[in-house]
Amino acid sequence: MNTAATLIDQEYTPSTVEALVTQEYKWGFVTDIEAETVPRGLNEDIVCRISAKKHEPAWLLQWRLKAYRYWTTLEKSAAEPQWANVHYAPIDYQDIIYYAAPKTQQDRPQSLDEVDPKLLETYEKLGIPLSEQKLLAGVAVDAIFDSVSVATTFKEKLAELGIIFCSFSEAVQEHPDLVREYLGSVVPYNDNFFAALNAAVFSDGSFCYIPKGVRCPMELSTYFRINAKDTGQFERTLIIADADSYVSYLEGCTAPMRDKNQLHAAVVELIALDNAQIKYSTIQNWYPGDKNGKGGIYNFVTKRGKCLGKHSQISWTQVETGSAITWKYPSCILQGDHSIGKFYSVALTNNYQQADTGTKMIHIGKHTKSTIISKGLSAGHGQNTYRGLVRIQKGATGARNYSQCDSLLLGDQCGAHTFPYLEVRNNDSVVEHEATTSKISEEQLFYCRQRGISAEDAVSMIVSGFCKEVFRELPMEFAVEAQKLLGVSLEGSVG
Amino acid sequence: MLSIKNLHVSVHNTTILQGIDLTIHAGEVHAIMGPNASGKSTLAHVLAGREGYEITAGAVRYAGQDLLGMSPEERAYAGVFLAFQYPVEIPGVNSAYFLRTALNAMRQHRGLKELSARDFLALLKEKMHLVEMDQSC
Repeated sequence: MNTAATLIDQEYTPSTVEALVTQEYKWGFVTDIEAETVPRGLNEDIVCRISAKKHEPAWLLQWRLKAYRYWTTLEKSAAEPQWANVHYAPIDYQDIIYYAAPKTQQDRPQSLDEVDPKLLETYEKLGIPLSEQKLLAGVAVDAIFDSVSVATTFKEKLAELGIIFCSFSEAVQEHPDLVREYLGSVVPYNDNFFAALNAAVFSDGSFCYIPKGVRCPMELSTYFRINAKDTGQFERTLIIADADSYVSYLEGCTAPMRDKNQLHAAVVELIALDNAQIKYSTIQNWYPGDKNGKGGIYNFVTKRGKCLGKHSQISWTQVETGSAITWKYPSCILQGDHSIGKFYSVALTNNYQQADTGTKMIHIGKHTKSTIISKGLSAGHGQNTYRGLVRIQKGATGARNYSQCDSLLLGDQCGAHTFPYLEVRNNDSVVEHEATTSKISEEQLFYCRQRGISAEDAVSMIVSGFCKEVFRELPMEFAVEAQKLLGVSLEGSVG
Repeated sequence: MLSIKNLHVSVHNTTILQGIDLTIHAGEVHAIMGPNASGKSTLAHVLAGREGYEITAGAVRYAGQDLLGMSPEERAYAGVFLAFQYPVEIPGVNSAYFLRTALNAMRQHRGLKELSARDFLALLKEKMHLVEMDQSC
């Protein structure tokens, strides 16, 4: 049967594409582990205590204290950033526990066998077995549970190549010179409100150093988990890729379901020297709060990479599906001539989630290039904002930028917002910006369903197609995980 | 096989179809002709289960079932196929992937094993050859 074109083919009210609702968060379990914490609240004593627990050298404590004092001046002058397009009740910084560690950490586990089996069980539940099986998958995992790094796999194998991959605390003890040289060199302690807070109280994180000429043979990975109640998580990651090296780094995160908001204020610093390449991928799945917007993680994160050497390259790929509020701008400082910065992002907001995310590309070196691909998905009452800055400095002659920001709306209660800032200070650079906003049309859905594809599978296929340019930047197994995660987060989205 | 009785359909309170009666037996081929805006597409869309149409009277039975009570995908499984005059594009989803997803949804419904990308490609090539479709693009 053939249909002829008629006027009915025009005007449609997309009644099928309904507001997104009900989706259970599958990672919301709590692990019953005794935790060692510091008293609630923040003051110089707490900072000193955290530092003492980690047996830190004096210079690091001084750095923390400087950060703390700077942060208090910001807090007193109410300088918490207000410009983002997110809304939340004021955070009581004295009502947060700044350090929590599983008790067994008292005597640090030396190998996986010594790690609390309950912890390992937690990671199994999260789908990241720390066992040697992961070797087959080629992923080395550093797992951060609440505030401390629990175990780092494949350290020995990496060490043969001279690669250092360990917890931040360990790096402070074992490689103090490297830490001291680069800590705060990309994100200084006084960079912003949350970065200052992090610098004062950061408890652990991952550290990675790839020596000259080494191509890291496996994906390095960190899994973050907040478990304890009323705690904040403040980890700090530092990755240094020496000349002619390459590393691909993955980061994942989950948290239990709690009806109180929890703060996560992390800092990530990347440094790429001559011809080095760093690929940093994130799958962020912090607890987003319930469908009425109660609870969830405040994800206020500062991530920045510095392409210090010529022909160096840093690429950020992020899939943001969790958190009640996301405030995050993984950025690149393109300092070396011919260096390249890339940003690929998928951000999903469902129910009452809010995301204000994007990137900054600062072109300083000559012939530097940057690419920004941002895909925002809004459903339910979700509010999704892209905020980006492309700055071409005077000396960055021959610079090139291409930005593309696409928004997809599911339902009629959600919002998509785009704030691109472009500053070009010379006259031989090329900057391009493209943006689209679209909806899943009733026609697309009907077309799929008429071919036997269920409405949910159709939405998932349309969304995957929309995000394809970003997903293909992810390592294979993570791309599959990301696709599944989006499917789960959107379940029940269509009536 | 298909029997349409006294079908009345309206869109936004405008009556489009006013009492269609049609019986089609298995193996028959029918062509429905008429001037623009006479309701050909409306009839086709209503039979395939597209939303946005209000059925104010009448009944449609297909292979012994109440067709109008079925979802679009159930109708597809039962064998109702609508060739779109202007198939919609789904950005980022290529035709081969779309066709395979559709075929596998159908196979799954019939209790058959899903076709892998490779097997599907072979099938696709075979069918393209059959209809003399240019394979270069």
